[in-house]
Amino acid sequence: MNDKTISSTPARNHGGGMRWLFNKKILFFATLASLIIIPIGVGDDYIYHIFITICLFAGLSTAWNIVGGYAGQLSLGHAIYYGIGAYTGMLMLNSGVSPWISMFVGAILAAGVAVAISYPCFKLHGPFYALASIAFLEVFHVISLNWVGLTGGANGVMVPLEMGWSTMIFTERLPSLVIVFGLMSFSLAVAWVIRRSKLGFQLIATRERESAARGAAIRTVHVRLYAAAISAGLTAMLGTFHGSYLTYIEPESAFNLTFSIQIVLFALVGGLGTVFGPLYGTILLVPITELARGWLGSSAIGLHGFVYGVVLILVVLFMPDGIMSLIQRYLPSSRVRRLDASVENSVDHVPLDDINKPTRPPIGEVVLKVEHLDKHFGGLHVTNDLSFDLHKGEVLGIIGPNGAGKTTVFNMISGFLRADSGSVAVLGEDGHFISPKTPGAFARSGVGRTFQIVQPFAAMTVEENIMVGAFYRFRSVEECRKAAREIASELGLNRFLDEEARNLPIGGLKRLEVARVMAMRPRILLLDEVMAGINPADLREAIELIKVIRNSGISIIAIEHVMQAVMELSDRVIVISSGEILAQGKPEEVVKNEAVIEAYLGKEASDASNE
Amino acid sequence: MELIFSLIVNGLMLGSLYAMVSVGLTLIFGITKVINFAHGEFMMIGMMLTYIITTYLGIHPYLTLVFIVPLLFVLGILVQKYLIEPLRNSDEHVQIFATVGLSIAMINLVLMIAGSDNFNTPSSGMRHTLDLGLATVLTGQVVIMLCSIFMVGGLHLFLTRTQMGRAIRATAQNRNAAQLMGINVSRINMVTFGIGIACVGIAAVLLSPLYPVNAQTGQSFVLIAFVIVVMGGLGSITGAFFAALIIGLVDSFTGFYLGSSLKGVAVFGIFLMILIFRPSGLFGKARKLAHVS
Amino acid sequence: MLRMNNVSSGYGATTILHDVSLEVKKGEVVTIVGGNGAGKTTTLRTLSGLIDTSAGSITFKDEDITHLPAHQVVNRGITLIPEARQLFPEMTVLENIQMGAYRPAAKSRYEQRLEEVLALFPRVKERLHQQAESLSGGEQQMVAIARGMMACPELLIFDEPSLGLAPIVVSQVFDVVKKIAESGTTVLIVEQNVQQTLKVADRAYVIENGRIVMDGQAQELMGNDHIRKAYLGI
Repeated sequence: MNDKTISSTPARNHGGGMRWLFNKKILFFATLASLIIIPIGVGDDYIYHIFITICLFAGLSTAWNIVGGYAGQLSLGHAIYYGIGAYTGMLMLNSGVSPWISMFVGAILAAGVAVAISYPCFKLHGPFYALASIAFLEVFHVISLNWVGLTGGANGVMVPLEMGWSTMIFTERLPSLVIVFGLMSFSLAVAWVIRRSKLGFQLIATRERESAARGAAIRTVHVRLYAAAISAGLTAMLGTFHGSYLTYIEPESAFNLTFSIQIVLFALVGGLGTVFGPLYGTILLVPITELARGWLGSSAIGLHGFVYGVVLILVVLFMPDGIMSLIQRYLPSSRVRRLDASVENSVDHVPLDDINKPTRPPIGEVVLKVEHLDKHFGGLHVTNDLSFDLHKGEVLGIIGPNGAGKTTVFNMISGFLRADSGSVAVLGEDGHFISPKTPGAFARSGVGRTFQIVQPFAAMTVEENIMVGAFYRFRSVEECRKAAREIASELGLNRFLDEEARNLPIGGLKRLEVARVMAMRPRILLLDEVMAGINPADLREAIELIKVIRNSGISIIAIEHVMQAVMELSDRVIVISSGEILAQGKPEEVVKNEAVIEAYLGKEASDASNE
Repeated sequence: MELIFSLIVNGLMLGSLYAMVSVGLTLIFGITKVINFAHGEFMMIGMMLTYIITTYLGIHPYLTLVFIVPLLFVLGILVQKYLIEPLRNSDEHVQIFATVGLSIAMINLVLMIAGSDNFNTPSSGMRHTLDLGLATVLTGQVVIMLCSIFMVGGLHLFLTRTQMGRAIRATAQNRNAAQLMGINVSRINMVTFGIGIACVGIAAVLLSPLYPVNAQTGQSFVLIAFVIVVMGGLGSITGAFFAALIIGLVDSFTGFYLGSSLKGVAVFGIFLMILIFRPSGLFGKARKLAHVS
Repeated sequence: MLRMNNVSSGYGATTILHDVSLEVKKGEVVTIVGGNGAGKTTTLRTLSGLIDTSAGSITFKDEDITHLPAHQVVNRGITLIPEARQLFPEMTVLENIQMGAYRPAAKSRYEQRLEEVLALFPRVKERLHQQAESLSGGEQQMVAIARGMMACPELLIFDEPSLGLAPIVVSQVFDVVKKIAESGTTVLIVEQNVQQTLKVADRAYVIENGRIVMDGQAQELMGNDHIRKAYLGI
């Protein structure tokens, strides 16, 4: 813990920097230990109760965070799974089945319900998803009230007070604390593992930018369903425990909206999407409300809720990133480094000399066939009977005025948009043409694309961004990381590997966009205005970069406005205007074409050039 | 036959009550793009105040409108100014939790002050039954029905015929272009929020003689208001009105045939169906949602 | 009349305009030309207050308007007719035009101005009571221009008025721009259609990568190789 370690360690966000790692670990394990040691030391029943409450909510919030934070689906109905777990435990205990078994039955049940509920709701975003989750919660509430034969209706369910480990009912508080502590630790471990696994990256990529995630062959619906199921399962296990702890459960407390909101609140206060945020959020908030209750008299109903409401408002106004952002701020070496000016200037001037430049292979057979594409938006005919081919190793430039329909064509040849009629066929590795339909299918058949508006997965580092592209090729995270590093060094992004992507300047972002796609090892690369907005000095390097990619045998279609790049790179150019092919041919020929000059510069210009 | 008729009448009465509660919510969403999760709590506060003023001053509950509507208008402006506007460029989840937090704080503040008891505003003649031949209704219900029609009509005229109303619609349809016309968009948002909350204030006063109020009252109404707002097409005032009538009828019929406890399942079932299969609302064009949200 | 002094601006952390200086004199028609993504639209959005200036200053009639919000810039007499028309789709054409006269100074002259403006756009006059979204692209552009004129601005700014329009409509749009300029309104125009714009304009600025790289009389720039190169690479 001396200054030397700080200065000699490159700043890293996740786990990098010895001092940060050290502190974070100490902080975490000290916190965990204190959750057990303090109540044992004090020995007071009330203190035990508070710590059991902390562990319970920390576990629930951590579980919620897997779907709410990592996947960004703001469920306000998580009490559904808690209730399912609690009822399953109580009802099975009444039939003589131990909670240790019913816990898993409840978890499986809850996971199933979560999948059934989430599947139709994933197309809803933000507040609408939240509303739908509230509505489902309300439905479960009403059902539990009315299915008296099963749930006992409004009277709720009680269990016989048979003490012991097999029923999870104790006169002492300590065993309950041990059990809930174990469950909470299990939740934390699961959350930790997911965050570091492929699933975690895929969830965050999906949350940050769904279109690019789909373009990288991530099954965005599947991964979110896994997250929902895991989260619901963990929530139900804690529900089963809590049922036994309370020995009584009723619809009002089991399927309760305020309870759901509390779970979310702790995660939000701690830091949405962070592994340990929910734990810290709970530890901070539960005691505060308990203390406030002590000052203001224990009979004050509503005090809990009032404090939570006010805290929620204050957090969204002043600390929307939660406690974890504060922890990071006050541990200097962990701080997310902003690029200083000198770095910013140099990011685009990465020398490419050390990259071996293969000689260019000859242009080969047709690898992509686009035939008679037609697309209407409302009354607008955006693509009109468009056909073209792409050959192996060829660079095909697509140019045309703004609004000509170029990006629409890209969307149709990468699966993001379905054409009204016409077909797109990709040459598969087995030598047969296939017609993929979804972005994922296109990606797997070897078509990779960049997006015109560059938005990286902002909360991820450069390395992690590139890894997302490699996911569908490899099983393990480490292999992906290795592949990402290779790509990064090929594309000159090596020293920004640990930088958060949002800190890159525009030139770096464009390069990152290409790197993510290259990590998929595509055979056909679709580039949408990768040269736009970069400095003239960087243009040279960007062009060289594309040449390197081309020389490795990849076929490229590039939408580009920077004419210098179009002229230099393209073997063939297609000019699109008003959704139709206006001209095509060699770049030198195309720019002399009258119709093209007119489309770009207006009529008089073409007249002038004839004189 | 008589039964059906009285169920229909009851449904329409209930529906117009729901319409009053929902109109402000849909207006606020349409213009500021914020779902106000605390909408019901403003109504609850309005009903509480109606109760307090009526019982202490011994005046007719309807007279409290003079005080409560301006008060809620100002409250709405303050909420927009200090809570919603600062978060305009924040993440979606932050905006959601801002009003969720407000809702929790308001409910629990009232719980702390007033406990969880029910308070009954004096009915002041509003619970008189009127015999319509085939069905009977309460005077208060008729007043609500008429007022809801006036409110929807009045808002419609305000939005289409006045300069301020047009500026509000312009802001909703294209915020950018509205600024370029010289419209102070943040002021428009504040006024809109104020009007939306004032509307739920009117609903609160008119409801008071008919319904008891407690800290949780807002929640039970606002969930149905969400259903109506989504069903009517977010941001559409007339859409919300007709959706409210439909939900009123559904409520009345399922309440009778399935029992009052199961009607919630029917209402929320419809809600989920609409959210999932027709998110632009029953009457909305699919495109509408795109530029509304 | 209008002066931008060393203005820089952008979105969030990304700076798009670097050190842009330009001026527009009363009664002039000035154009900014440049390729896609060169910073034309950003310049206009900065001028009109839609995005804030991060460095430098903007003055209009010798008053500082650098950090004024958009609606106050309009009140000073600068109106921007935005790219891609941006009408209020669910309002009628007449309501759209009424919104144009929202600024207090324009309200008092509404009736008279309406007549003047509609005289310029006979097609618009025929469609006053249609929903704006039901109009064709060319008609919508005319409504957008009419709406902008209703504010009685001293400086009228056009952002790509010919974008996505058929060639015949484009020349109509330029006729209108010419008429507006002749009637004494100062005009700043950003266009892709370089040749036609240069014919209308008195002076021009060429912008590349967020920097002004050249300026001069429109006539002189007409045959300039630099412009051809920026657009066509030849």
